[in-house]
Amino acid sequence: MSQSESLIPVAIRKDGPEHLLIEWSDGHRSVYAWQHLRDHCPCAGCRDEREKPTDPFRILKPNELVPLAPISMPPVGRYAYKIVWSDGHDSGIYTLDHLRSLCQCPQCSNR
Amino acid sequence: MQPPGGPPQKIALPNIKNIVAVASGKGGVGKSTVAANLALALAAVSPRVGLMDADIYGPSVPIMMGIREVVDQRTTAFPMERHGLKLMSMGFLVPPEQAVIWRGPMVHRALVQFLTDLNWGPLDYLVIDLPPGTGDAQLTLTQTAPLSGAVIVTTPQDVALIDARKGLEMFRQVRVPVLGIVENMSYFEGEDGKRVHLFGQGGGRKLANEAGVPFLGEIPIDPRVAECGDDGEPIVCKYPESGVAKAYRTLAATVAERLQSIDKGPELPEVQL
Repeated sequence: MSQSESLIPVAIRKDGPEHLLIEWSDGHRSVYAWQHLRDHCPCAGCRDEREKPTDPFRILKPNELVPLAPISMPPVGRYAYKIVWSDGHDSGIYTLDHLRSLCQCPQCSNR
Repeated sequence: MQPPGGPPQKIALPNIKNIVAVASGKGGVGKSTVAANLALALAAVSPRVGLMDADIYGPSVPIMMGIREVVDQRTTAFPMERHGLKLMSMGFLVPPEQAVIWRGPMVHRALVQFLTDLNWGPLDYLVIDLPPGTGDAQLTLTQTAPLSGAVIVTTPQDVALIDARKGLEMFRQVRVPVLGIVENMSYFEGEDGKRVHLFGQGGGRKLANEAGVPFLGEIPIDPRVAECGDDGEPIVCKYPESGVAKAYRTLAATVAERLQSIDKGPELPEVQL
């Protein structure tokens, strides 16, 4: 098993209202803004949206006018977490590898 | 990778000690035959064994186990029992001539019902015969069921090995332990004891070495395997002294040993929000 395959969170919790904190089995601490996680949602619908050119005249939907918050974050098997958002979106399965790659700590951000 | 519909709820199956998925990347490598005979070989040493057919679109377990008629769901208790195994398959519910034309969410629901709505009772092993590929059934089971490990079935030729590698990679990505690779239809042994490698030699072992997983063994090819499958009495039952049956008993012992020693790793911690 490679190092990345054996990496797992040993603790994962909300860090204030805006952030998620993960402590990994290799000692690394990852902090994520919830909005950052939503912006990188791996579901097919969000990927498709990200690939489209930005529409400058897009009208916001009512659920986009209220602040976004996570409702729950259940584990999926032994390899991922799913985030259920306050706007009802729940199809993103965040694999551990994906979560690790999204780490926003200064060390990871500079890579 | 997305769930095949709805939130993946983790299933707890405390009465089942080991859940073994039998998988292959490619169809036609004898996966259902391996699953059925492996389950029977396990049952020879441990009487509480189940076999669940997760191939919703092309179930093979009913024919292999000699249950050809569609059963009356109102009067039949599931899982059914045959040859000492507890059995469940879509083929018990749908006539063979009727196609199941379902999208992923329906497959997901059926598999979850097979696991949770049936009284499997205490089992030492539940062998799950997966459909070929890396699709909805595989995702549902890896996301929701507490799989102990997966056995990858291949045949020796490159065309099967390429797809077996994909199956292997899927289990790695979803962090289900791969118990190892078994090579089916490895060779034909003539009456003079001479082995003929009809489809090439050493492919399964080479793949196992490359992937860093154990090679679980070779299952020889024998025309009686197909005959037994069609007659509803797998070769482990009908010809227990055959070379194939012996190979399955060796495979069962190896799988049982691997299940004892394998490190499934910790469950992911819950998140408090």
